[in-house]
Amino acid sequence: MNPPKIEPEVLQAILRKAYQEKENVEVGDQWQQEVMRRVRELGTLQPTPTFPEMLEQLVWRLAPVTCLLIFGLTVLFAVSDFTSGYEVFQLFMNGTEELTFALFAGL
Amino acid sequence: MDNDSPTSGDAEIVGQVVAGDVHAFEHLLRKYQNHVLILLKKHLPYDHIEETAQDVFIRAYKSLPTFRGESSFKQWLSTIAVRTCYDFWRKHYKSRELPMSSLTEKNQVWLEEAISAQASQSFHEQSLQKEAREILDWALDRLSAADRMVLELVYLEGYSLRETADLLGWSIANVKVRSFRSRKKLHKLLTQAKLR
Repeated sequence: MNPPKIEPEVLQAILRKAYQEKENVEVGDQWQQEVMRRVRELGTLQPTPTFPEMLEQLVWRLAPVTCLLIFGLTVLFAVSDFTSGYEVFQLFMNGTEELTFALFAGL
Repeated sequence: MDNDSPTSGDAEIVGQVVAGDVHAFEHLLRKYQNHVLILLKKHLPYDHIEETAQDVFIRAYKSLPTFRGESSFKQWLSTIAVRTCYDFWRKHYKSRELPMSSLTEKNQVWLEEAISAQASQSFHEQSLQKEAREILDWALDRLSAADRMVLELVYLEGYSLRETADLLGWSIANVKVRSFRSRKKLHKLLTQAKLR
């Protein structure tokens, strides 16, 4: 069964009238005082920061993380034997070169 | 109340508030509280208007540093009020705190008459606004927050697409598409309700 056809203009007029005729709302001094109390709680406003100010804020926000990262890496290098690790690597590299030369020379 | 003061004075008051004079905000509050309440009463349930109106002014206060005076303060405040209403419905539809109204038999009879009366002027005169409002609330409850806001602004309040787009912060194309779809949804809801 097809739904009945509604005249959109008629329905719109009726609904619009009903929509517009909602009861009025009135607020007293107490309501205003409550808003002002909340506003005072928020304190004075901070002006919108400019781009360099925002960049500065970002840098300062990242500063503790950067410090922690530097500290962590320093500790890591101090604890792990960096020098001996390097020497082992050099030894391995040298050893490979000798081996390759020996093979090439047919020795 | 200083309702008659020119709009240009608003920018000065905004400047004072931003400069640190918190008390100057009371002038704006007194001047525009009725405007905000009238706007909110159209979009929100009666018992949520006062609280939401407070939120509108708090939100406006926090956003004052961003007020550039490109539009009037009243228009700027209206935008905040409409977006606060939208946020209200999004929040409430998510949590479904408000009970969904149901269509009574009386409402269905009214709807039947409204539809079959076509353009009858007598029906306009005799129809009970309360019933129409109940049916409208019932149908709006079944739409999404975005559909509801667009429908109310374009279909029921008669705002243009551009004005609605400005108020909601959407593109005109988005408003146009949503307005068309939400209107179809409303008609479908009312037609189905009549068939029950």
